[in-house]
Amino acid sequence: MEKLLTLWYGSGLYNLTLGQGVMVLVGLGLLYLAIAKKFEPLLLVPIGFGGILANIPEAGLALSAAEQAAHLARPGVLEQMAAALGVALDPVAGIEAWRGTLSDALHGDLSPTLVRAANDVAMDVGYANGVLYQFYNVAIASGIAPLVIFMGVGAMTDFGPLLANPRTLFLGAAAQFGIFATLLGAVGMSAMGWMDFSLNQAAAIGIIGGADGPTSIYVASILAPELLGAIAVASYSYMALVPLIQPPIMKALTTKREREIAMTQLRPVSKLEKIVFPLSLLILVVLFLPDAAPLLGMFCFGNLMRECGVVERLSDTAQNALINIVTIFLGLSVGSKLMADRFLAFETLGILALGMVAFAIGTACGVLMAKLMNTVSRMPINPLIGSAGVSAVPMAARVSNKIGLESNPHNFLLMHAMGPNVAGVIGSAVAAGVMIKFLG
Amino acid sequence: MSANILMGEGLALMALGMSFVFVFLTVLVIVTTLMSKTIGRFFPEPPAPVATGNRRPPAPRQDDDVMVAITAAVHRYRRRHRR
Repeated sequence: MEKLLTLWYGSGLYNLTLGQGVMVLVGLGLLYLAIAKKFEPLLLVPIGFGGILANIPEAGLALSAAEQAAHLARPGVLEQMAAALGVALDPVAGIEAWRGTLSDALHGDLSPTLVRAANDVAMDVGYANGVLYQFYNVAIASGIAPLVIFMGVGAMTDFGPLLANPRTLFLGAAAQFGIFATLLGAVGMSAMGWMDFSLNQAAAIGIIGGADGPTSIYVASILAPELLGAIAVASYSYMALVPLIQPPIMKALTTKREREIAMTQLRPVSKLEKIVFPLSLLILVVLFLPDAAPLLGMFCFGNLMRECGVVERLSDTAQNALINIVTIFLGLSVGSKLMADRFLAFETLGILALGMVAFAIGTACGVLMAKLMNTVSRMPINPLIGSAGVSAVPMAARVSNKIGLESNPHNFLLMHAMGPNVAGVIGSAVAAGVMIKFLG
Repeated sequence: MSANILMGEGLALMALGMSFVFVFLTVLVIVTTLMSKTIGRFFPEPPAPVATGNRRPPAPRQDDDVMVAITAAVHRYRRRHRR
């Protein structure tokens, strides 16, 4: 009978908290969106599955050794850990209260040295870091995974349309207004007392408006790691929702005649220009914004491998095998941040709402900028390509093309929209660099 | 009071950030345009004309060969069948 009870106390059903149950459902929901609705499946499948793994009761896949020990270890070990952390344990309170105190201390803002000491104590008695926790440390906390993905994106990007019409870079710049407007929105919400975001957290939330998954994960891992789960989920789900969010805004801001504007054929771009472009971008980054160097440096490197034409094998690996491998680990690591006690907070709702606003404002600013450029310049510019200034390559460009075809069946905007689209990638990386410069 | 400071910092960051993004991309536009012009002037695209130049000659040459072969064959056939 006693053995049966032990089995029961060790079961997931006995230990499942309400929050964990909800988060398992959230994970299943993400899987549903990815598999049945095809929303960014490459990322939402690993993220959703990682979220479920992270919320398995007692397994502690997403916990460090110290956190697991605080939850499971004998009283003697707890005392040792408390000594290492410099926390006082109330002798009368009983062991459950001790566990609570230690967990709070580990989640609080103690110095990393103390936390490391507690981790060593836990490892000495045989506790190990959970596997998702390890993935997170290697892939995201070190900053590697988003950067390697950015290199792969660089290797997939064709700058031809941008080089043929460099002025589309302005559209990419205008669409970044969504980032900064959202930052202001997050700060405003805290000022009104609705939420409690610091300036760093507000900046990390704003980057969602850049519509660039790796960039927002990179910035969040530096400025606000505690919000990373919500930010990553928000940015990837909105990237998937681009075809739903953008069209109403684009149609509201343009007249039918503007949507029918046909653009002139792009000039052919020589191979040499394509090789020199990533290098000149890199030099500008070096000169003006070294803080964007990790992101844009990897991006330029990937693009140079693609265009130089002598390292086809490396370029092929960067845009296929490597990016796929890293995507698996990135997705699982983001999933590890979907733990109930941190994700199920009022702030998460705020982040999801702000992310949506960021997208909408970015789209609107891109379209308005394109209208402005159309009135100023001699060459006609269809305002629909402005919305592609939020990155989300190549989804946003496809949306521009589709809306353009609806108004004028002979108007193919796809290539014209790819220019602002890749400009948006550069723009959001620059905005990320500015944020890291001021707040990092 | 701290709320106001927070708002102020947010506004400052927005103004600074947005203007920096614009300045950076404007410089990028200028550099890119200059780069394209320079390359267009000093290294005018050899590959494209070469590619089309290579492609065109073979087609007629091939046609000639084929025509020669066909005429020869037809000629021979007719000669044989006359006899």
